[in-house]
Amino acid sequence: MSYISVRNLEKRFVIREKRQEGALLRGKKTVRALQGVSFDVERGELLGYIGPNGAGKSTTVKILSGILTPDGGDVTVGGRVPWKERREHVRHIGVVFGQRTQLWWDVPIRDSYDLLKDIYRIPAGDYRTRLAELTEALQLGDLLRTPLRQLSLGQRMRAELCGSLLHRPELLFLDEPTIGLDAVSKLALREFLQWENRQQGTTILLTTHDMEDIVALCPRVMVLGHGRKLFDGALPDLLGRYDTLRTVTVNYEEPEAVPELPASIPLARDGKNLMISYSPQEYATAELIARLQAAGTVRELTVQPQNIDRLVAAMYREMDL
Amino acid sequence: MNTIRLYLHSMRMLIRSQLQYPFSFFLQTLAQLVMEGGEMLAVVLLVDRFDHLNQWGAGDLYFFFGLMSVTFYLTECFGRGITGNFPYLVRTGQLDTFLLRPRGVLTQAMCSAADPRRITCIAVGIVALVIGSRLSAIQWTFAKTLLMAEAILCGCILILGLFMIEAIFSIYSVKSIELVNALTYGGRSACEYPIDTFPRPLRVLFTVLAPFALTLHVPGAVILGKPLFGWPAWAAWVSPLSGIIFFFLIRLCFRKAMRHYRSTGS
Repeated sequence: MSYISVRNLEKRFVIREKRQEGALLRGKKTVRALQGVSFDVERGELLGYIGPNGAGKSTTVKILSGILTPDGGDVTVGGRVPWKERREHVRHIGVVFGQRTQLWWDVPIRDSYDLLKDIYRIPAGDYRTRLAELTEALQLGDLLRTPLRQLSLGQRMRAELCGSLLHRPELLFLDEPTIGLDAVSKLALREFLQWENRQQGTTILLTTHDMEDIVALCPRVMVLGHGRKLFDGALPDLLGRYDTLRTVTVNYEEPEAVPELPASIPLARDGKNLMISYSPQEYATAELIARLQAAGTVRELTVQPQNIDRLVAAMYREMDL
Repeated sequence: MNTIRLYLHSMRMLIRSQLQYPFSFFLQTLAQLVMEGGEMLAVVLLVDRFDHLNQWGAGDLYFFFGLMSVTFYLTECFGRGITGNFPYLVRTGQLDTFLLRPRGVLTQAMCSAADPRRITCIAVGIVALVIGSRLSAIQWTFAKTLLMAEAILCGCILILGLFMIEAIFSIYSVKSIELVNALTYGGRSACEYPIDTFPRPLRVLFTVLAPFALTLHVPGAVILGKPLFGWPAWAAWVSPLSGIIFFFLIRLCFRKAMRHYRSTGS
């Protein structure tokens, strides 16, 4: 059996609505946060979990980590049912919420780690080795004596990661780990996650809105929308479906040069540049470039695939999310 | 054993983190002294005006006041995670963090906060106990000391249980602070005075529903040599256990409530 097995997962929330004028009681509304989601994850996988806000990503993570009890369906993680054997289950997982701290605010982070050692009952020797290993990989050495509140956001995320990995979890959940981080911190974080995944064989499940995270880290991606699983597979396969438009920017020696193209392809002028949007399925790229070169002396030419965020937006639109 | 070590470790860390702001800590501790000193002043004035209340003399009144103060503020000092922060933990989703660790939720709540500023309140209570003991000329024996320790311990557990009602309500997202405060802080203010000075409804409330009278007043009266309700002396050893029973009943409800817990968005 797979390491994580999820079958027909259901979760409903009852939301109390604002009282209608004239009504005696407030109305209730049931929101079906998850409507029969199924998937499997093998040990050592690095899986990206995407979907618009409110799609049910966090709900899935909370059920998998034992915080919430589902209303239907079966889940096992490493043979255990998370909400039934909560304490035994959480011993083997680590969770990092991008917007919520798990360390203590006013004390040096080293003190927080010492307390986590007691909470997880980590043997002293193992704790020392693991802490040394993580502080080196996360470059936390100089920060161990600093209280959490004095750390920058990037430093704090690194500190959180270290805290969540001290007990060597088999499975790590990351909920929007790169939110609000600068470019350097993001890159360092991604590198670390890859290292942890390879070195320790830690299974990582990552929810994010940053598509770059997925591109850089996750061979497999799952799309969730309206509580249903919409896609499960490799990112290029997903994007291939929506990669419908490309933009060519061309700059001619002769300012009056205009290429002959079918009427269906729009042409825009931006100063000296001509911008052409086309769909590679309808019009072959090689053919287009040949036509462009025939029209005059090309000084510069770039072909750009659509921005990945736009692709995802197009995908969400088409899936009616 | 490990749980106790974890608790002590947490307390050390919490106190250290409070001392990160030493001036604020000092001022707040002072403020607590003024507050609890004011409460005690009420007893001083009462005793000054009337020299007894029912069968209770001045010393007895100081003693009951001290018993309640010490009990209540010991609880607030070491159980602050339950007496103060719980609804906040639920509202902000910090409770999720507890659920992600291989420990009980209540253990972690207890470990999550301490309120060392309350030492001044406890000190006021101890002063009242000493004055009361002198004025009422209590003959201290080992048994009496042990009985007082039992009363205070069971009282602390009762108060934790009362504050857990608030925690349970907060899980069901019901705003109930006022209602529960009537039992917790209201119970403290009322039961600084012996139970038989109150009209019947209040006597029932603080004997049966929130058994302050059984945990604190019955043993207190025996220590003072004036047993309440005409009960035999051994009853004073049994009645404080009601605080523990109360706590476990509430804990049962708490477990049930935790199954209902639905977390907050992130």
